Amino acid sequence: MVNIPAFGSIEWWQILVAGISTLAAYSFLLGENPVYRLFEHFYIGIATSITTMIGVKTFLWPKVLKPLLGLDVAYFPDGSAAVPYDPSTLWYLVPLLFGGLYYFILSPRHAWIAQIVIGLSLGTSAGFAFKGIFNEALPQVYDSFRPLYVPGSIVDTISNLVFVTTLLAAMYYFFLTIKRKPGGNGDRVAAYGRWMMMGCFGAFFGATIMARMSLLVERLQFLVETWWPTLMATVSGG
Amino acid sequence: MRRIATLLQNIDRRVIYLLVLFSLLTPLIANFSLRPAPMETASSFFTTVEKLDPAATKLVLVAMDWGPSTQAENGSQTEVLLEHLMRKNIHFGLISLSPTAGPLLESVPKKVIAKMTAENPEFRWNYGEDWVNFGFQPNAGIMIQNMARSTDLRATLETDALGTDLKDLAVMNGVNTIRDIPILVEFTGLVGVFNTWLQFLQAENYRPQMLHGCTSITIPEAYIYYASKQILGLHEGLAGAAAYEQLLSERYPSRLIGRALKLNTSLAIAQLMIIALIVVGNIGYALSLSLQKNGASRG
Repeated sequence: MVNIPAFGSIEWWQILVAGISTLAAYSFLLGENPVYRLFEHFYIGIATSITTMIGVKTFLWPKVLKPLLGLDVAYFPDGSAAVPYDPSTLWYLVPLLFGGLYYFILSPRHAWIAQIVIGLSLGTSAGFAFKGIFNEALPQVYDSFRPLYVPGSIVDTISNLVFVTTLLAAMYYFFLTIKRKPGGNGDRVAAYGRWMMMGCFGAFFGATIMARMSLLVERLQFLVETWWPTLMATVSGG
Repeated sequence: MRRIATLLQNIDRRVIYLLVLFSLLTPLIANFSLRPAPMETASSFFTTVEKLDPAATKLVLVAMDWGPSTQAENGSQTEVLLEHLMRKNIHFGLISLSPTAGPLLESVPKKVIAKMTAENPEFRWNYGEDWVNFGFQPNAGIMIQNMARSTDLRATLETDALGTDLKDLAVMNGVNTIRDIPILVEFTGLVGVFNTWLQFLQAENYRPQMLHGCTSITIPEAYIYYASKQILGLHEGLAGAAAYEQLLSERYPSRLIGRALKLNTSLAIAQLMIIALIVVGNIGYALSLSLQKNGASRG
């Protein structure tokens, strides 16, 4: 049983607005309409502002600007600082100003300055990706070397056979530097790889439907178990 | 016959929506839940958490890299995990790489604590002593590498989400490096987020054991990590959370049923409805083909 919040409280308003927004979003199922369009704009605006504000509130202000401006220093009643201002925080200005050069992208004449920042970001990202791919992909490559016969387990043997043949066939499908004879053995292997990939895409599609249904059922649960009882309690004066 | 074949292939989409809606609503309104099918991935997840020794486990790191848009799946997964950790008296720290997770890092554990308190009024799970909220952390890759390299995690992460110095929180006592974190549990619906943890959260000769919860869309991709044993357990969407909740109910028979089982029941009935509609459409198609053939042979 859901706790009905007091009429006019923040929780009451949250539930009311959330329910109306959900219904407005799903009104698209009946066709394009102004209510849906209005709430879509609300959503985009709110999502953008929340992301921006959280970035400022949780990182830029407490971890960069506050120490830089010395606003995180506590003072005793006599006016003396509990901890002296740390001048090394002034180094923050270097990456801050360098990052700020990105905004030159808005000037056609000085856009090249922004490219220095972009270049650095790309280089850093490439370095990270290079390091990361080894940590992520190598264990998967090792795992691909599976025995084709597992003593005492027919299931594992079949599973490994399917795994290895699918892996090789799917890789061969994308191996386009050797001409395949239509109807030949190479073509058959590639066709097997394609069919296996089709099965995978089918799994992706089925999983996508399940994910969409999960979103819907959660919203329905909210409407049925929280929003509707709150609305009814309000209407009946409960 | 031709009319029936045409009708079966041209059911109004609004009728389909209504049928799916009806299937989803029935278990919610009738308030019943079906037993989910056991899942090997959820079972491994459960066993890994169950094996943790509360006395030896300083902190489990739970990355809630999801927002309201995947609450149905990632929310249910997180709730059952936190409940399990609370029942085993294992301390946890919540962290997120997703900016929209901020309010959820507070509300989800509080919801689970409320459920546990409803079961047992004497149950206590205090902030700062039993759990901590590290909040949203920007610059994912760099932040994770800093954590991995850190010799003092309290100094690296500095404060919790409320601005309290981590050195003042009892739950952080003895948590110095990532070697003091035996397990990372990561929940996300976003492609590429789990990879970041996998790629960078490792020190020399050490990587925390990893568990992962994904949305249904990303199951095929997440399965690669499970098959290659990079993760020890996997929550496959809402069904994974329901299978885990079933295991939790079997382990703790007096627990109150959570929402994963109920939502999964709705999902199962809706999927049966979709399969039935696909079959109906195909019957109509087969019927129209047969009528065409008959017409051609007569003509």
